[in-house]
Amino acid sequence: MSTIIEFKNVNKEYKSGDHILKAMDNVNFTIDEGEFVVILGPSGAGKSTLLNLLGGLDSVTSGQIIVNGQNVESFNDNQLTEYRAKNVGFIFQFYNLIPNLTSLENVELMKDIVDVDINGLDVLDSVGLKDHASQFPAQLSGGEQQRVSIARAVAKQPTMLLCDEPTGALDSKTGVLILNLLQDMSNNKNTTVVIVTHNAILAEAADKVIRIKNGQIESIVINENPKKVTDLEW
Amino acid sequence: MLSKKMLRDIRKHKTQFLSIFLMAFLGVFVFAGVGGESVGLEVNIDQYYEDTNLADGWIYSANINDLFLYQVDCLGATTQMERQLVVDSVADFENDPDITLHFVENNTISKFYLIKGEPLDINDEDGVWLDKSFADAKGLDVGDNITFEFEGFEIEKEIKGLGYSPEYVYHASTSSVIPDFNKIGFAYLSYKAFPMDTVPYNVLNVKFDGTPENYEDILSYHMDGYYSSFIPQSEHSSVSQFSEEMDQHRMMGDIFPVVFILIAMLILLTTMTRIIAHQRTQIGILKASGFKNRSIILHYVSYGFWLVLIGSILGLVIGPMTLPQLFYPSMSATYKMPSWDPAWSMNFVYVAALMIIMSLAVSYYAVKNISDEKPADTIRPKAPKVSSSGFVEKLGFWKHLSFNVRWNYRDAKRNKFRALMTIIGVIGCSALLVCAFGMYDGMNDLKEWEYNQINHYDSKLVIDENATTSQINTVADEVNGDKLMEGAIEIESDNAKKSSSLLVLNDTSLVTPTDYDWNKIEIADDEVSISQKMADMLGVGVGDTVKWHIMGSDKWVKTKIDKIHADPISQGLILSSEKLEDLDLNYTPTSIVTAQHVNQSYDGVKAANSMKDMTSSWDELTESMWLLIYILIFFASLLAVIVLYNLGLLSFTEIEREIATLKVLGFKSGALRRLLLTQNLWFTAIGFILGLPVGYIILAVMWESSGDSFYILPSISPTNFLLTAVITFALSILVNLMFSRKIKKLDMVESLKSGE
Repeated sequence: MSTIIEFKNVNKEYKSGDHILKAMDNVNFTIDEGEFVVILGPSGAGKSTLLNLLGGLDSVTSGQIIVNGQNVESFNDNQLTEYRAKNVGFIFQFYNLIPNLTSLENVELMKDIVDVDINGLDVLDSVGLKDHASQFPAQLSGGEQQRVSIARAVAKQPTMLLCDEPTGALDSKTGVLILNLLQDMSNNKNTTVVIVTHNAILAEAADKVIRIKNGQIESIVINENPKKVTDLEW
Repeated sequence: MLSKKMLRDIRKHKTQFLSIFLMAFLGVFVFAGVGGESVGLEVNIDQYYEDTNLADGWIYSANINDLFLYQVDCLGATTQMERQLVVDSVADFENDPDITLHFVENNTISKFYLIKGEPLDINDEDGVWLDKSFADAKGLDVGDNITFEFEGFEIEKEIKGLGYSPEYVYHASTSSVIPDFNKIGFAYLSYKAFPMDTVPYNVLNVKFDGTPENYEDILSYHMDGYYSSFIPQSEHSSVSQFSEEMDQHRMMGDIFPVVFILIAMLILLTTMTRIIAHQRTQIGILKASGFKNRSIILHYVSYGFWLVLIGSILGLVIGPMTLPQLFYPSMSATYKMPSWDPAWSMNFVYVAALMIIMSLAVSYYAVKNISDEKPADTIRPKAPKVSSSGFVEKLGFWKHLSFNVRWNYRDAKRNKFRALMTIIGVIGCSALLVCAFGMYDGMNDLKEWEYNQINHYDSKLVIDENATTSQINTVADEVNGDKLMEGAIEIESDNAKKSSSLLVLNDTSLVTPTDYDWNKIEIADDEVSISQKMADMLGVGVGDTVKWHIMGSDKWVKTKIDKIHADPISQGLILSSEKLEDLDLNYTPTSIVTAQHVNQSYDGVKAANSMKDMTSSWDELTESMWLLIYILIFFASLLAVIVLYNLGLLSFTEIEREIATLKVLGFKSGALRRLLLTQNLWFTAIGFILGLPVGYIILAVMWESSGDSFYILPSISPTNFLLTAVITFALSILVNLMFSRKIKKLDMVESLKSGE
């Protein structure tokens, strides 16, 4: 397996007046292609900062972020937009579907930003929502909306799926279904999945667990035999 | 604590609150400013007429002796009277200015309004009280001497005072519409200054009880044959000219500001409702933490109240102080009045109060709606409206439409209210623009029509009243010209009675009447033609009969209407001299028109006016109109920007999250800007198309109410039509550009945090 994401001595500081907050303090890690990675940490540990940096929503103070051999930290705004479009499939806690578009249209919307030849219905089918293609987000349940959002992220055929508390707004049963879907994507389709969460149970299902605290890496653990999400005790 | 919250909220949403303030201010500013101008004219002129005790009417007679006075006094209705000799003179200057002299026996009616010098003394044999505008034009001052020539007399007097007269607010020669203060003026003198012992008084100023019609009836019943004519105040040339001018200002002062303030109010109220709707969750939180409904409502109602209040008050004060000052200078070049002060009307206050009350009511209603819900519901954002696929989406081509089109279509469908407001705003602005440009075109059309399509002469020679027929014929031959007779008539149909004009015209290529489409029409020697507007006002058409008489004569004649012509500035009858004599009326030419350029003077000719003079006087007269049109265009554009920006801002706040999501997903800023632009352009296009007929209607109403003598058809030239379109769309794109920075600066991370 080849390394697809690498953080090298990444620092991120926020200045507010004289006060300097170190949100990311000399962070180093790598993620391999097709890995199912869980980033764990308590509130305020720097999980979101890490995700924003990786997703191209924010830029580093110092250090390097290498994705697919590209130095993301050196990108300007336009290049970042391009990077997000091609490399990152976001999955948000609150789904963030476009309320004006049907499920199918939300998925097919991706054709407007990346040059991919996909069939929206097939992608919806892969998340089990073929029958809901013409429904609007407001007509779907939370779990269904999150599945549409996964379909939308996958449709771009991105380098990685970046999930920010993807089950945070769902009940545990639905959450398991979503996580299972993501794990399948990683196992069967060799998609790199990065999940940011504070839910430690998920660690057992990950290929790699990165724990962060106070903006620093606390530990990086590689599971030789990760459990199936459905086998976890919630 | 809540007031702290309010201040912070205002700071956070400063553009929206600024636009609330601006709309309240601009609405009232324009309303009170334009209104203050026309109300100011009215107040000033009324005050002036009252201060100087302007005559209620004038009785003209060749010899107003003591017996005549006794008879008028016996009429009963007469409350006050004063006789004077009014005579035309020429002052001793190089350009032979015409000065009308008033030898007065007393001066308590239509009093001379003194500006400088000593008060008018009716026993002063040596003094003259002179028209201040004329004196200013000639550089004369109190103490200077001036010489007048009239009817073989020559008198030299010392200027004792300078001032104005209520009978000369508007004072122009018969030959030009625009007064030239260098060429024309008036003067008051004591009857003792008259060079003969007996003064042949010819005008009697009267004040009377009851209506002028009533007075005239009594007068003609008792004194028929003893006097030549009676003119009531409303028909006096100065009074009627100024009141027509005021009518013009009033009609613009009525329609335009009303349209303007309606749009401003509409957008203001929309904005306030929206701002409160955006505070939904906060209202829930306040309620959940135990705030009373009453204090929550008070808090939100006071949001807009202060801004609207301050904006309205500033508008009320600044509007009348500034806008009228733009118009008055050009008006005071035409009219002579001692004071030009903008005035206030309680109407302005009522309108401002209405605006404030409406904004209170709307915000009260908006908060009440939210606070009436259970806090548990309010604390969560309102459930998004469920979209459904409508008719259009089921059509085959829907799938082939771009995301941009689909998104915008659905967004507009989901936010019908916002869409409607934007469209109404654009309708208002483009209607105002159409109206402004239509006025511009109308004024130009009028000039072209009157001075190019109807009148083709180069010079018009005004015939002296005392000229003999042979003198007239000699001049006409010499300049190879054609004679015209122009006069004032009173015309009556079964439905109405109107003052209008008479043009007696023999076949000439120099004056060619046209129809409303500017096509020349032939009026045969035995035919009578009536102007379109006069026909409309009288409710008559071809084949009908009208009754009329020449002013100053009481011989009524009846004629059948054979043709209808149209004329932009003169309404009345056209007939030939042959027809006139058939009717047993005297043919007395008043002017000679010629294709030659006449510079020299002839016996029997009072003045020569070139076409160029006339068009340039017209240009001067319309100067204040141009100004108004520019102001209209400016404010309409400003309003358009505020409306579009404001509604754009509102919708931006509502879709911020979506835009942020799209941005995170990888949409480029340009694509997002186009997304917003598309909707803007759609609404602008719809508003523009609907605004055209609305503007046309407003324009038609304006021309319709522009006074009895004007006849202008509402139209807009292709160039100006294009310009209206360009301005409207350019503003729409400009507003869109203002949002591009917002899209660039949009905080993606922040927008994604909040739950749905």
